[in-house]
Amino acid sequence: MIHWAIDRLAKLMALLGGLVLCLLVGVVCISVSGRELADLAHAGSLGGLGDWLLAKGLGPILGDFELVEAGIAFAIFAFLPLTQLSGAHANVDVFTRPMGPRVNNALATFWSLAMLAVMVLITWRLYEGMQDKIRYRETTYLIQFPIWWAYAASLAAAVAASIVSLYCAAMRLTGARQG
Amino acid sequence: MSDLALGYLSFPVLLAMIFLRAPIGLAMLLCGIGGLWLATDGTTVFMARLKSEVYSTFSNYNLSIIPMFLLMGQFATHSGMSRALFRAAEAWLGHRKGGMAMASVGACAGFGAICGSSLATAATMSRVALPELRKYGYAGGFSTATLAAGGTLGILIPPSVILVIYAILTEQNIAKLFAAAFIPGILAALGYMLTIAIYVRLYPDQAGTKARAPYAERLKALGAVWPVLLVFALVVGGIYRGWFTPTEGAAVGAFGTALIALFSRSLNWSVLRESLTETATGTGLVFFIVLGAAFYNGFLALSQVPQELSAWVTGQGFSPWTVMVMILIFYLLLGCLMDSLSMILLTIPIFWPVISALDFGMTTEELAIWFGIMVLIVVEVGLITPPVGMNLFIINGMDRETPITATYRAVMFFVGSDVLRVILLLLFPAITLVFI
Repeated sequence: MIHWAIDRLAKLMALLGGLVLCLLVGVVCISVSGRELADLAHAGSLGGLGDWLLAKGLGPILGDFELVEAGIAFAIFAFLPLTQLSGAHANVDVFTRPMGPRVNNALATFWSLAMLAVMVLITWRLYEGMQDKIRYRETTYLIQFPIWWAYAASLAAAVAASIVSLYCAAMRLTGARQG
Repeated sequence: MSDLALGYLSFPVLLAMIFLRAPIGLAMLLCGIGGLWLATDGTTVFMARLKSEVYSTFSNYNLSIIPMFLLMGQFATHSGMSRALFRAAEAWLGHRKGGMAMASVGACAGFGAICGSSLATAATMSRVALPELRKYGYAGGFSTATLAAGGTLGILIPPSVILVIYAILTEQNIAKLFAAAFIPGILAALGYMLTIAIYVRLYPDQAGTKARAPYAERLKALGAVWPVLLVFALVVGGIYRGWFTPTEGAAVGAFGTALIALFSRSLNWSVLRESLTETATGTGLVFFIVLGAAFYNGFLALSQVPQELSAWVTGQGFSPWTVMVMILIFYLLLGCLMDSLSMILLTIPIFWPVISALDFGMTTEELAIWFGIMVLIVVEVGLITPPVGMNLFIINGMDRETPITATYRAVMFFVGSDVLRVILLLLFPAITLVFI
């Protein structure tokens, strides 16, 4: 049950993050085409159609890079649970390979605990950071949306990453996960 | 203990952690936090940094190019383009001596133009090319070695994820770095083809033969690869010509490859889900290391180690070329142990100040670009150097009949070609800098 739930959680977060990434790709593409078309229209290459489009507000999306920054932060936090659960983090095992399964299991357990500590620390500090952004009512420069919204979304993903880290460490400690 | 001593002490501690199988990002993060803790006599500094710096690293606009390029690579993998590229290369080269192997290298180069990672290029092309090579009587070790070497073109031919990281670390223009990687990338592909030509003359029994394809068929096969050329021209050309920022270019590329995948009818719900989860783990892996490196480098900068080390090397009066060669050899050795990205993030903040203080008779920008391309090539050689090169294991694992020792033997020829190319580019920086 718990294995299933954690697996679902990690995959769901990854897909959510992936979806946001795809949305950002769409936003950027629309913004770029808007900008390039508006440039052409300004140069008069599109004739009457260009003037009409400009009058309709043709141009880049206002503050598109602010959307990218907010969205990509959430996406990356949301990618961490699956990265952790599937053991995708890069490491060097050339030196430990000859040391046998007992040493390797002990090391993996130790690092999973360190990872848990770091993940929880990051999540806690992110929460504090969010409190600061709420307190000072910080907004982005162009579209003026409150930065703490992006922090809150990232925080939710960071909590998921902490839960997955807790699960991984528990599985290591009880010996349910080896190798 | 002085901050400087603390900084120097952090190297062996970090290496020990990494060699004891710590996730590399975690090891750097722990060393960074620990170092800041000791150097500033308290938790205030690193606790304050953790409050904003994790978010600001993950939300960095320049870095957002990486998940987009990884997504682009995933769509490219599922777009059927690997097969189309191989068909085209095979139609033109397949009948020559060792032609199928040359075609594999050519197709890898083409795929590298829409994919920014070596392992992905090697793995994707192998799925298509390995069965064909074996079918036409190419020896197992020769086939796997060819594809492992061909895979390294993925990172060298722009777009390249590692070059993006290098550009950010050294504050260089990504477009210029991409342009500079182009000729070395083509040279690499030609060098591998030449290597194959020599290899099959030395060992004629290792390669089979295939009938010559008629010109109508060749043109048809070539016609099928235009989407790759279009996406590459749009992304790399657009970034180079300044039509859009690198991040925008990556978004356009991801969109373009998604369209190709859609039109080739290979993009369904399960493929999309797989692409997204693969992008997720790839991105998570990269950014966790980037995060660790941000904290570790923050600590190193505080400890003044990079400045001191640079002043020391300059003060010794070594010739600049000696220092350059020593650093490249160091990368070659470390590249056999560690993945390229971790190595770049870990070492560039230390080595770049050293190199930039030396006089090679070029501007700082030229030097940064040339050094970056040299480092990129050398760390990629590490990926195919026996006995630990990562590409070798991945490709060898895809062909169960071939013992890894057979791959080792054949790949040494490609490593030789790499070493010759490194020497060539080292002696003539102008080759790399022609578009700058």
